[in-house]
Amino acid sequence: MSDLVGTARVRPTARTRRWAVGYLFVLPIALFFAVFVAFPFLRSFYLSLTEWSGFTSPRFIGLRNFQSLADDPVFWKALRTTIIYTAVTTILQTTLPMLLAVFINIGWRGGVVFRTLLFIPVIVSFVVTALLWQLIYDPNFGTLNQVLRAVGLDALAHPWLADPMTVVPAIMLVSLWQSLGFYMLIFLAGLQGIDPNLYEAARIDGAGARQEFLKITVPMLRTVTAVVVLLNLINGFNTFDVIYVMTGGGPNRASEVLGTYLYKLAFGTESGATPSFGYATAISMIVFALCVAAAVVQLRISRRARDVG
Amino acid sequence: MSAEAPSTTQQATVPGRAEGIATRPSRHRVPAGRRRRRAARRSAGYVFLVALSGATVFPFVWMLLTSVRHRDTVFGGSLVPDELTFGAYGRAWSQLDYLSHFLTSVVVTTLTVLGVLALASLAGYSFAKLDFPGKQVIYVTLLTTLMMPLTALILPLFLQMKTLSLLNTRQGLILVYIGLSLPFAMFLMRAFFETLPDELIDAARVDGAGEFRIFWRVMLPLAAPGVATVVVFQFLTTWNEFLFAQTFLQDPEILPLQPHLFGVVRGQHVTDWPLLTAALTMSVLPMVLVYMRMQRRFVAGLTLGAVKS
Repeated sequence: MSDLVGTARVRPTARTRRWAVGYLFVLPIALFFAVFVAFPFLRSFYLSLTEWSGFTSPRFIGLRNFQSLADDPVFWKALRTTIIYTAVTTILQTTLPMLLAVFINIGWRGGVVFRTLLFIPVIVSFVVTALLWQLIYDPNFGTLNQVLRAVGLDALAHPWLADPMTVVPAIMLVSLWQSLGFYMLIFLAGLQGIDPNLYEAARIDGAGARQEFLKITVPMLRTVTAVVVLLNLINGFNTFDVIYVMTGGGPNRASEVLGTYLYKLAFGTESGATPSFGYATAISMIVFALCVAAAVVQLRISRRARDVG
Repeated sequence: MSAEAPSTTQQATVPGRAEGIATRPSRHRVPAGRRRRRAARRSAGYVFLVALSGATVFPFVWMLLTSVRHRDTVFGGSLVPDELTFGAYGRAWSQLDYLSHFLTSVVVTTLTVLGVLALASLAGYSFAKLDFPGKQVIYVTLLTTLMMPLTALILPLFLQMKTLSLLNTRQGLILVYIGLSLPFAMFLMRAFFETLPDELIDAARVDGAGEFRIFWRVMLPLAAPGVATVVVFQFLTTWNEFLFAQTFLQDPEILPLQPHLFGVVRGQHVTDWPLLTAALTMSVLPMVLVYMRMQRRFVAGLTLGAVKS
């Protein structure tokens, strides 16, 4: 009896002390989050409603930045390129890695070697990737054109990054090259989670390989697919590094995306000598809105799929 | 049948093997034509895998081959140089002020990894094993960082750094890296701590160990695989980072390797391709070594992150 009273009295203080420990352990990360993520992010909402070159204090102008955006042909061009780029890379970088994962999962002698080789581009930086491909695409001495000339396809040799028609597809290829191994591994991890008995049962029912893929593999991979699609969408809307390093948005804005445009507005020579922080932040809000929209749609679809399945 | 089986006991313990033996007669009944077609399809599969892996690693092979060429044999001539020279490595080392930028990268990366590891494991442990009010809300709030578009953050972060007088300092860059990397590392560490049994903590508490001591001496050593994953992952991302370093450090002298290499190419039109590819090769080397040694950890971290987020 006295024991019970004792623990009852001790417990609250022990518990609050333990709470304090929990908070204490989380405190440093919370501080970092507040200073380097939350505050800057919230501030950018306000900045997008101002006119500011960074020297005097920001001047509040309401929604005028967004009105200017509507009249800015460069913005519309960049938005269009961003959406096309995102759509194409998302489709390619979801279907191809999935097919490749299924293919490699069949079981090949030396499969680990193939997997390792395909993954190597993932560990290399954007700078190395972009510079390397810049050299490969070089119109005069680049490997791509040399190979084409060597096999007699001189007519196809081309200034890949200097032609507005080919610059965006050329960059998409680089993106695919760099991410194929990564997304393939995610799909491979997903394939490990499928119950082999399902295939066994299908085989007994006389299902062919194509039916197995469509009726079992694809539906069972839908959670993983949802993640891959979402990652692709966010990376696509945010795309910056590779384009900035390879073309800087050129030639003649043919590869200008929202990321490169806003970066040049804020830090580059886009607006003459004065950076336009407010206007650039307004564009970053558009990028953010695209990402949120993608996440919301994604969540809706995967929730409905779960309800059905 | 019994003559073919290695021994009855083995047959009992290895059911898969026994099955294989049982089905062997039926395999003999597969017509020779179909078997040949299957073999042909398999070789076609190998050809495809070899071609794809070859195309994937080709840029790196080309990079290596170009870096050991003579400067005047780059343009034109065969793919494989007739004569090897390592002169470009020496030139890159001396002309690009390589050592100083390399050391900057080493220092920035090491400090970032240590900072992230310390704070993320503390927080990850707290979220996995301690109880305190609001735990879930705080955790999810911190994780929103993962969804945040970097192009939307870079501008307000730049201004934040200016306010804190951290602009153009390597300390500031390290703090930004830590701040932006912490949530994902915390997420990984939490996943690893969750796999450890609570009884260990209870037992240690009964023994009168303090909370920090329990974390440091009992739990952290058991989460060693998680620690390794975070270290490898963080090392790769920080070493390869380019955008923030290039934006926040204006003095080219103090740049880490990746943005420095970018600046070299941008600044003057480099025609010395062996020098450039040698510089790229040297910058990739640490990554390749880490990847080769810790491949499994790295892949585990990446796929865990992608699949769970």
